[in-house]
Amino acid sequence: MKTLTADVVVVGGGSTGAGVVRDVAMRGYSAILVDRADLGQGTTGRYHGLLHSGGRYVVSDPHSATECAEENAIVTRIQSHAVERTGGYFVATHVDDPAWGDDWAKGATDTKVPFEEVSVAEVLKAEPRVNPKISRAFKVEDGSVDGWQLVWSAANSAKQYGAKILTYHRVTKINRDGDRVSQVVCTDEKTGEEVRINTNFVLNCAAAWGGQIAHMADCPDVQVVPGAGIMIAMNHRLTNSVINRLTYPADGDILVPVHTVCIIGTTDQKADDPDKLQIAWDEVQQMMDCGELLVPGFRNARAIHAWAGARPLVKDSRVGSGDTRHMSRGMSIIDHSERDGLKGLLTIAGGKLTTYRLMAENVVNAMCAQLGETRPCRTADEQCPGSEDKKNYVITHRLEEREHDRTEDQILCECELMSKGMFTRALADQPKGSFDDLRRQLRLGMGPCQGGFCSMRATGVALQSEHIDIERATGLVRLFLKNRWIGIWPILYGDQVRQTALDNWIFQGTLDVEHLPGPTHEEVV
Amino acid sequence: MTRVVVIGAGVSGLVAAIRLARGGAAVTLLAKGTGGLQLSQGTIDILGYAPDRVERPLDALGDFAQANPDHPYAFLDAELVGASASYVAELVGAELLVGDPAVNLQLPTAVGAVRPTALASPSMTAGACVDGAKFVIIGLKQLKDFYPELVAHNLNRTDLPGGGRLEARPVMLGFPAREGEVDSSGLTYARALDDPATRKRFAEAVKPLVAEGESVGLPAVLGLDDHNAWSDIADLIGAPVFEIPLPPPSVPGMRLNRTLTAVAKASGVRVVPGSKVTGYRSPGGSVACVQLATAGGIREFAADAFLLSTGGFESGALHADSRHNLRESIFDLPLRRPEGALVHADYWGDPQPLFLVGVETGPDLLVRHPGGDAVYDNLYAAGGILAGATRWQEKSGEGIAVASAVKAADSILAAASSATTEGAAS
Repeated sequence: MKTLTADVVVVGGGSTGAGVVRDVAMRGYSAILVDRADLGQGTTGRYHGLLHSGGRYVVSDPHSATECAEENAIVTRIQSHAVERTGGYFVATHVDDPAWGDDWAKGATDTKVPFEEVSVAEVLKAEPRVNPKISRAFKVEDGSVDGWQLVWSAANSAKQYGAKILTYHRVTKINRDGDRVSQVVCTDEKTGEEVRINTNFVLNCAAAWGGQIAHMADCPDVQVVPGAGIMIAMNHRLTNSVINRLTYPADGDILVPVHTVCIIGTTDQKADDPDKLQIAWDEVQQMMDCGELLVPGFRNARAIHAWAGARPLVKDSRVGSGDTRHMSRGMSIIDHSERDGLKGLLTIAGGKLTTYRLMAENVVNAMCAQLGETRPCRTADEQCPGSEDKKNYVITHRLEEREHDRTEDQILCECELMSKGMFTRALADQPKGSFDDLRRQLRLGMGPCQGGFCSMRATGVALQSEHIDIERATGLVRLFLKNRWIGIWPILYGDQVRQTALDNWIFQGTLDVEHLPGPTHEEVV
Repeated sequence: MTRVVVIGAGVSGLVAAIRLARGGAAVTLLAKGTGGLQLSQGTIDILGYAPDRVERPLDALGDFAQANPDHPYAFLDAELVGASASYVAELVGAELLVGDPAVNLQLPTAVGAVRPTALASPSMTAGACVDGAKFVIIGLKQLKDFYPELVAHNLNRTDLPGGGRLEARPVMLGFPAREGEVDSSGLTYARALDDPATRKRFAEAVKPLVAEGESVGLPAVLGLDDHNAWSDIADLIGAPVFEIPLPPPSVPGMRLNRTLTAVAKASGVRVVPGSKVTGYRSPGGSVACVQLATAGGIREFAADAFLLSTGGFESGALHADSRHNLRESIFDLPLRRPEGALVHADYWGDPQPLFLVGVETGPDLLVRHPGGDAVYDNLYAAGGILAGATRWQEKSGEGIAVASAVKAADSILAAASSATTEGAAS
């Protein structure tokens, strides 16, 4: 057993938790962040990558729209390397009412979301694949953001201010001393060791899992309803701008270019358990139909991967519990001293990735208020690590890097232009990481071949490091192949069938990987 | 002289084309690309897992066919399969294929698994995984598709199929295929090692790494066109050498492909590369011709019989659209489709039904409606397009391909001969 001490313990390593730990650390508190898995492995890593202009909410949720517009500008500045300034369009397809655009434009004006009405011809010139039958279009300042880069850079900023980031630490209990929080008990998932953290304050940022965490502090019935949405990555960028449907928020209304792919999203189904989200065939079909509306021929493009994420929506008595799309996406802070008579615990949920910094500011303000302290927030004023040069992400950045190092280093993943050096450095930083942990930072195996060529190379290179023995290396590649399949099988059609057949020929046909000697224990995390 | 068009230049198309030409037919081979052999490991697999590891594949085929009545081996019997494997071995010669079709070799893979196969390149057989074997596995720093630690350490912890253990140790050697290049493909190495002077330098670099009694495992890049490059290297080192196949592009697969293509041409087969079949005409119940879209118009290839040896989903011969409508790409042939969902979530589980999809034929390889009559009276199929096998799991790909190719060729020749006889009689 190990005992640590911190002023504040942040539970949850998604965007909210990372923003919160950065904020508390910058205000001078000692802080520890714990997550049961890797950073950004929950909802933050399972969304479509949109950095909202605010345009999506100008009619349905004006307050959120304004927040999005303001925070978009801040995040684009302080985490420039994680954000691509793609720009975006709201387009009325032939099945949408162009007159609704007037309501939208009024909403955008009222909420101070920057926009400009543009001609259909201008949209088609910029984005030739967009449906030529669109009748109306508005240009907005949408961007795309790499959720993992965002979370890691916020966490790294927190570390520079002295915070500790403990991934793979599962919270098992929150102890109290009378009416105050006193200790967070965790299990180190990699070693099995118990870790006790003495603290006065816990900020519950576990989002869709926030109800479970509150329950560990004997605060029952915090209802965070997971709103599940599926997303599908297509094998290249069908558009270089974000394309939104000019309608009231609905399913399948957005196409986002992120890195080398573009992502269509999303659906919204009430889920019972955020750890057991399904990708149903009819939802995939629904996404394909929506894609066809935005980009004709979408069904003939190649889908490479699908995933589902759980929005952390706080149950709101104003809407029925089955309708998660229209539950509050604004942030909710639950003060457990009022609700449950327990001081030193705040639960935050709701909100969206674009406004993660503001959510953090609000919850840390609430904490300071409860503690009777005044410490101003400074998170909007300072660049995060990695963004010192203030340059935004561009799709060609890895190509440029490889141009510089191609005579000295090998390319392990051709799809994503990941070099051997990138892989070995990430592995040295995270020697206990799984290939999926490394993937989230490097995009290993996320391109069209879905690991067909790079998985074996990654295994071989990992084995050459001192961190990993043969059993673990073999277990890691088996786990990686199994995990990739989770996102492949629901969308296995078209040319991805062809790719999968080739991958099967490689892994089973040539390498016979399924008949490697079994591990003494199977890697599961 | 009967005219035959063979579509597809993988192992089944090449073998069928050669057999037809040598049997007296005028054969045109239409090749869209370079064929699937270049993706293979350069071995002839017959049956490796059923689903347990198979030691004697021809002996196992009877029971396997009984347990899998929809499998191509249900009508391609052991005698045919064995004879067909030997036929291919004779075509390419002992420089490229050796072994006994009745007995599986157990050879190491590039991740250190022990893989069963029936016939292999003589450059591979010193890697037979038997009790007491001693290997040094040598990787090349500039080749990213082969990691000696992965091979050696996995082999070391494997209980061998025939019992016992072997000893393997890894060594990494810096040996650029081209000056100043750090990221070279296996093909680049193979071309470099076609040069005797490079081979000599290579052998001199390897020799000090080898201990007494060790066999030397190397990535399968030891020469492309010079089939004796590997034995030359072994002689220079003074120890047994074996090649371990890599993921594509596969040099041993390429050697087989080049050799079979040369044999086909020498046998009188007219090979037309870059030929994607885009249409066909079938007045009455026969295919009259297939069509290519060429500059200036459609070009037609008429024949008395057609052999479809275009492969499976991997080559584009079969296609599943976004609603899981299935299609055979050239003739839109009826396909045999398993009932229910085509894909399931368990990566390590049962075979995916999707990959059992294919065309159905009778024992004469004439394409038929599933459970019914022939689709055309002169359209045959062979190889990867046949329904009912998960070739990469079973390690059955080439066995099915060559047996169906030989049988289809013989059916076409027999039909031509009986037509001639009938013609003469009338």
